[in-house]
Amino acid sequence: MEDICQQYKSFTGKKVTFMILLTVAVFGVALIAISQGPSSVGFKDSFAALFRDAGLAHAIVWKLRFPRIVMAVLVGCGLALAGTVFQSILRNPLASPYTLGIAASAGFGAVMAIVFGAGLYSEYLIAGNAFFFALVSSLLILGIARLKGSTVETMVLAGIAIMFLFSSLSSLLQYMGTMEEVHEIVFWFFGSLSKVGWKEIGIASAMILVPIPILWKWSWDLNLLAAGDESAKALGVNVTRIRMLGVVLASLITAGAICFTGVIGFIGLVSPHITRMVVGGDHRFLLPASALVGAVLVLTADTLGRTLWAPQVIPVGIVTSFIGVPFFFYLLMKKTREYW
Amino acid sequence: MREYVVKAGASILFFCLLVSGYGIIAQATGRETISIEDATGRSVEIILPVRRLVVLTSDALEVIRALKAEDLVLGVNTGIARDPRFWPMLKNRQRVGSWMEPSYELIAELNPDIVIGYARHPSQDMEKKLIPFGITVIRLDFYKMRTLLKEVRTLGRILGKEEEARQLTTWYRKNLNLTEERMRDTDGRPLVYIESYSKYHTTGPGSGGHEMCALAGGHNIASGFSIPYPEITPEWVLAENPHIIIKATSLSCCYAMTDLQPLKSIRDNIIARPAWDNIRAVQGGKVYVMAGDIWTGPRAIIGATYLAKWFHPDFFEDIDPANLHKEYLERFQRIKYQGVYVYPRKVPKVISELK
Repeated sequence: MEDICQQYKSFTGKKVTFMILLTVAVFGVALIAISQGPSSVGFKDSFAALFRDAGLAHAIVWKLRFPRIVMAVLVGCGLALAGTVFQSILRNPLASPYTLGIAASAGFGAVMAIVFGAGLYSEYLIAGNAFFFALVSSLLILGIARLKGSTVETMVLAGIAIMFLFSSLSSLLQYMGTMEEVHEIVFWFFGSLSKVGWKEIGIASAMILVPIPILWKWSWDLNLLAAGDESAKALGVNVTRIRMLGVVLASLITAGAICFTGVIGFIGLVSPHITRMVVGGDHRFLLPASALVGAVLVLTADTLGRTLWAPQVIPVGIVTSFIGVPFFFYLLMKKTREYW
Repeated sequence: MREYVVKAGASILFFCLLVSGYGIIAQATGRETISIEDATGRSVEIILPVRRLVVLTSDALEVIRALKAEDLVLGVNTGIARDPRFWPMLKNRQRVGSWMEPSYELIAELNPDIVIGYARHPSQDMEKKLIPFGITVIRLDFYKMRTLLKEVRTLGRILGKEEEARQLTTWYRKNLNLTEERMRDTDGRPLVYIESYSKYHTTGPGSGGHEMCALAGGHNIASGFSIPYPEITPEWVLAENPHIIIKATSLSCCYAMTDLQPLKSIRDNIIARPAWDNIRAVQGGKVYVMAGDIWTGPRAIIGATYLAKWFHPDFFEDIDPANLHKEYLERFQRIKYQGVYVYPRKVPKVISELK
């Protein structure tokens, strides 16, 4: 018995250490990111500018570099959290904001605003529409689940069908669009953190951060859900409610993360897996650790994307896959036991 | 081995017969054939006269109207229906699908002599699908200033409208020369940040915007880049500190627009971007918005003249690009001059004027 307690403590210690390391990594990469840029504001100047309240260096650091870093962290956390929640409530390792059609429908919202928004041109129209359609798709999934029962299969299949529906609708609008519009649509789908400022961060953070305490509170329920619907129900978990609300909250987070930045792929799928391989399936650790992994990945990808080929930027949506996939493969090869 | 030789011989013989047969038919019907080079650099044989056209690009359609050949057009791309005022005569022609992926069945049914598309769009499928119907596919871009005049002449030959093509190219050349001449006297080129249709995407070498900027006497701050439409960071623009910012918008149907507000709000958003109040262009109010209609395409000369006036106001004081546009629309397109294409219309003298 004592042995088990010791093992539990040691594993918990390992998880806590992993999370501390991730936090250090987020700050480390953020420090590098804040000192990197095409202007002459270098390492020393950028830190000095952080504590000054005027001048060009201050403007560059506070208005351009810092918001970018904060948004990268927010988007990374948001997508990773949404992915973790989707995978857990649907007990499916392939679930993510992308496989469930949330990103595809947000993309359709953006495309719609680009093609039909002529005359009403506004970045907020694109972001608002993307957000609206992300929620529409989650409501569609819920509607189908309500009619046919909120089983895992129904929801995953409904999500996949919705993904195809909205991808096709986007293709249709793209097909109808002019050369200029197609140009703009293609770049929206690459994802970019250049477009965000403090105002956008304010809106996105409300959507990403508000659901977090609720998800955190559900940690035990999500743990029980992993044992199957029957067992979870037997232990007092309201499976239907958690599944329905979980879809809404994870969709809200996804919508908040991508409506201003465009599609940043892969993070929602891979961050939960990377984290599970290290910390296991206990959601008290899995949720925050996964969010931190997402933050490190997006922040690293964006920093690399804007420095490797400077001043040209490799869109963050492309770089996330470049750094995420090899790392994921490495962990997959190294791992000997089943982790899911 | 012998079998291969026989097969190869038979194939060559068949090909020769095909070519000579084609020539004989053309001669027998008394129709002249010409060989032209299209935008992909390939040589295309065309039997004259060309009487039936399907035009998939609005750029080509505009040039065809300038050559007074719109009567020959049977089919157009579906997109032109979105700008009916600009295409009063052509809006009701058979729509054959998008410029990227038209309906080959509809085109085959219309049985045109030639179909005109962009060099890269639609894909090579178009040739595979339409050549068996005896339809010739020609690819002409009409959106690159470098090749526009050559393409207009080519189209003039194809349509038997050499004189109209000559008039258009002469007008174009005259205005190009004027811009170039004035440019010789200017001292230095202002630094220009050009923003393409997407936010924080500029135009590097290989893009139409870069070409126009160079022609108008500006130094594109992205001229050292290696890709045509790269994403950049707002900090880079701040570090380069351009004298002038040009924003090309994907707003379409500007011909039907009367309200300046959409263009103004795009400009206001640029001025309000975080930390951009430190950029010379923003401080001096030299942030201009240009509609896609005159940004590249057959009307690029008008866009380039606006740019030249913005870059070197003292040397172009007597030139009003709006007049040039009016002349083009009324003389070559035979439609009334209207619409909203740039904002602000005047070169700002002092910042307070703009506020």
